[in-house]
Amino acid sequence: MSHEMKQPEKNPAKSRRQHSDLRFALHLLRQNPIVMAGLVISVATVVLALLSNLLVNGAYWHQQNLTLRLCWNNPAFGWPVTNLFNCGGQVYPLGTDAYGRSLLQMIILAIPIDLQIALEVVASAVVIGVVFGSLAAYMGGLIDEVILRITDIFLAVPWILLAIVLIVVLGRSLTTLTLAIIITWWPWYVRLMRSQVIGEKEKLYVERLKMMGAGWPRILFRHVIPNSIYPILVQSTLDIGSVILTVSALTFIGLTPNPLLPELGNLSNQGIEYFFTAPWLIIFPGLTILIISLGFNLLGDGIRDIFDPRLRR
Amino acid sequence: MRLYEYVLRRILFMVFVLFALSVLIFYLTRGLLPPTTALAPYINPRLTDAGKLSIARAVGVATSSCPSFSDFAALQNGCITPLWTQYLYWLKNVLVGNWGYTLLPGISGTESTWSVFFGRFPYTAELDIVAAALTFLIAVPLGIISATHNNKAPDHLSRIVSLGGYSIPQFWFGAMLLLVFVLYVRIGGLGLLPASGALGTTCALCFSNPGTITAYTGVPLLDALLSRNIPYFWDSVVAIILPAMTLAITSLGLLTRIVRSNMMEVLRQDYITMARSKGLKERTVVYSHALRNAILPAITVTGLLVTYLIGGSVIVEIVFSWPGVGSAALVAADVLDINFLELFVLVAGVIIVVTNLTVDILYAVLDPRIRY
Amino acid sequence: MSQAHTQEGGDDILSIQELKLKFHTYAGEVSALDGIKLSIKKGELLGLVGESGCGKSVTALAIAGLLPPNAEVTGGDVVLDGKNVLALKPEEMRLARLKDIAMIFQDPMTYLNPVLTIGSQMAEITRAEPKLFVSTLVNYRLRQIDKQVEGTNPNPGLPAERERLRHALESQSLGRKELNELTRSYAISLLRSVRLPEPEKVFEMYPFELSGGMRQRVMIAMAMMRRPKLLLADEITTALDVTVQAQILHLLKDLRSEINTSVLLITHDLAIVAEVCDRVAVMYAGNIVEIAEVHELFRNPLHPYSKGLLASVPRADLTRTPDSIEGSVPDLLSPPSGCRFHPRCPKAFEVCPSRKPSMIEVAPDHYVSCFLYGGLNGKNNNT
Repeated sequence: MSHEMKQPEKNPAKSRRQHSDLRFALHLLRQNPIVMAGLVISVATVVLALLSNLLVNGAYWHQQNLTLRLCWNNPAFGWPVTNLFNCGGQVYPLGTDAYGRSLLQMIILAIPIDLQIALEVVASAVVIGVVFGSLAAYMGGLIDEVILRITDIFLAVPWILLAIVLIVVLGRSLTTLTLAIIITWWPWYVRLMRSQVIGEKEKLYVERLKMMGAGWPRILFRHVIPNSIYPILVQSTLDIGSVILTVSALTFIGLTPNPLLPELGNLSNQGIEYFFTAPWLIIFPGLTILIISLGFNLLGDGIRDIFDPRLRR
Repeated sequence: MRLYEYVLRRILFMVFVLFALSVLIFYLTRGLLPPTTALAPYINPRLTDAGKLSIARAVGVATSSCPSFSDFAALQNGCITPLWTQYLYWLKNVLVGNWGYTLLPGISGTESTWSVFFGRFPYTAELDIVAAALTFLIAVPLGIISATHNNKAPDHLSRIVSLGGYSIPQFWFGAMLLLVFVLYVRIGGLGLLPASGALGTTCALCFSNPGTITAYTGVPLLDALLSRNIPYFWDSVVAIILPAMTLAITSLGLLTRIVRSNMMEVLRQDYITMARSKGLKERTVVYSHALRNAILPAITVTGLLVTYLIGGSVIVEIVFSWPGVGSAALVAADVLDINFLELFVLVAGVIIVVTNLTVDILYAVLDPRIRY
Repeated sequence: MSQAHTQEGGDDILSIQELKLKFHTYAGEVSALDGIKLSIKKGELLGLVGESGCGKSVTALAIAGLLPPNAEVTGGDVVLDGKNVLALKPEEMRLARLKDIAMIFQDPMTYLNPVLTIGSQMAEITRAEPKLFVSTLVNYRLRQIDKQVEGTNPNPGLPAERERLRHALESQSLGRKELNELTRSYAISLLRSVRLPEPEKVFEMYPFELSGGMRQRVMIAMAMMRRPKLLLADEITTALDVTVQAQILHLLKDLRSEINTSVLLITHDLAIVAEVCDRVAVMYAGNIVEIAEVHELFRNPLHPYSKGLLASVPRADLTRTPDSIEGSVPDLLSPPSGCRFHPRCPKAFEVCPSRKPSMIEVAPDHYVSCFLYGGLNGKNNNT
């Protein structure tokens, strides 16, 4: 009978698997137009954010023109409100907001701000999560217990309440906004990283490295972490969209540093106040948030499906 | 381990988490805000300085050796008790339910924070429970269909719905529903559904004069049923539809995804092949075999769902002017009514932790493997 | 040299002709079955041997209609008791699985639902199509009643019950409660017949409470419940201890004679084949290379692969060390041309890579697919 020895975890099999992984990934990508759409939207958002200062004057949002406030003169469609204010000469494609500024330009200015906050939050959460999660998992014992319990405590509260308390206490600014979200977001990443590392550290190559005399920092940082970080990256892509939702939710309920700030939630805040006179004020910023977060979510979801071994075939 | 040991351990753990949560929230508020802010809910501005000082002492923020109230307000050394002492006083007040007087505008300053909070709380509870029911009713079938028709049209559709729900800003979705059902669809000059509040009286589907009910529980839907006032019940239902749907649609993404992935994983299991090989109907295979195994891990997500819902109701209550604690929380933030927020956080914490405990116990009861 | 194929209909319960099957995977198409020919007579215990990955399980799944969605049958027939299984509609196939074909799998732990009791997993069989089981259940109970009536102190209610049951038999229908009770006692008796201790208790237990051997007996009992015409046993002893293995095999043999079911016993272990099989088919890389009666094969293996297999079995008398077959199992994504064994065959010659040898009856009821024994002239079809 054939004597199939257990294949050592060495290169020939690995590169063959990597090659077929890539083929499989492309195969799935082709099969899944939804993920392609997500990719397109995400890329478009980033591009728009980078170009925003070219499209709109960066200082635009400081000015106010109250005679033009809440008006709509785009002939393409109308709204079921009793009377629409007229905007005078210039056509505003998306109407004006409560301070008389073009909503379209405000949205374009808002995208980079929201995206920047999202990236800051996600990056910080990833770093904190990776550090504490992997330490907790790798060290085990008391450190693990302590870190785990701390995450439990944070996860026992709805994030928005914690964020409200933090902003009330720390004052209203973009920094505190970002900080508040990071503080509510990090527990997930710690947990995720921890569960990854717990699985990873049981693998054979870790044992081998230990036997070769490698110290734990080297094993952890050069081997275990890079091998476990995949789901974290997937999650962080997904979360870019969620953070934008979070930020806009917080500014929507009024926790914004400056009512004039071009920020999607902030604009929506005006929108709900004047909903029955100017519904576009909440519809379009909200729609923008929806599209951006949908783009990142589709992308992240698709990546997760592609690399989830359980869902193969 | 035996079941009761497991329950005991979980309860102890729950107590610990709540305790630690209280420390956290205490530090965030009392630790980072001046003691005068912390004191505000307990004093009546018309009190004399001496009166204020004695209350400050009673609440534990001012030391007994502090000479005057102005010294205390100026944060003189020796006037402010150490933080951990403050915590003990604070904890005592929490446990007896003394949260001082409300600072919310529009309410008399002699109303206690506790009564204001729990006067509004049933509305939030009602909204969240209805939303939770809707979430389950939509998400579970959606997840099942998605799994059994993997990668075909129903799967793609349900993934779009659940992913969409996950990506939609709650306030925007609520606003869209308002736009459609209140502004666009109008009958006889009135919107189809009410625009705000917990009782709809000015809408096409509303009874304009539903009468009154006796507040047995504080929850309008229940009270209306108990008072046998059907128009009132109807008006309450009509008012809760839009906010509950907003909450549900934006929360069902997670549950759908979990049911779907659990079902898909279960359907690949060998015992499913075995069940099919026995000649069982596909329906039996999916429901009696697959779902039984798939749904169990899915209930662990209930705790998460509750967290989502409570947090989401803050936003949804604002959009629909729903008279619950979520909308009040914002006002409290504006006027620095810290006690209201602290109470909200602790109540939410208790609810979430108890939900998790219940779910874990339920899981242990339902899965025969864990029991032994 | 007669064209090798098994007798038409007659007393064959299963006849597979030229079955070709491939899997669509992301890496390409895997040619899993390359035109196999197999048949099982009524009441026969046929062994199907081969290395892992040669297509034995796939064959069984194809017969039972349990192939995964990415499998495609590209040719051939599978005829079970006169019916072409491949042409059946899904609902008809399901009924066939219920009543005609039973399959037992390798690892009883993963093939039993962990959150349902043994009893409920057995009872759901009759609940699936109660009408099909009325005769079985009623006759079982009637036999029980008859025995009790003849014994000491019979229950006075028995004659009335007997009448009721005869009536049910005629009308081919049973009340729900009656169905459940009969199912329960029938199932318990089956658990007893597979020699499980305390069958009433086992009925209420969960799979994880039983040992591997016990679970396997439960699977056999579940199969016996349907009194199938064909029993497919896929490596049923591989996950068990050697001592338990022997018990299970003998149980299988006894049950086979009791119910007169035909059995396809899939295994990679020649010792098992020698122990219980009537005939044996040797499979390699998606082809059947040799079929013969068991003693005949062991005495006189014809195909080089069969010879290699037999030579590699360790012998208790240590007369010589076992040989192994050189090379390894081919990758079915791009299988070898012609005779798939030719890269490893010590006797391969020029014609072997060019086309596939057809199956030839070299001795009475001993078939081989190898150019060494004929088929060189072009009149045999090149499949």
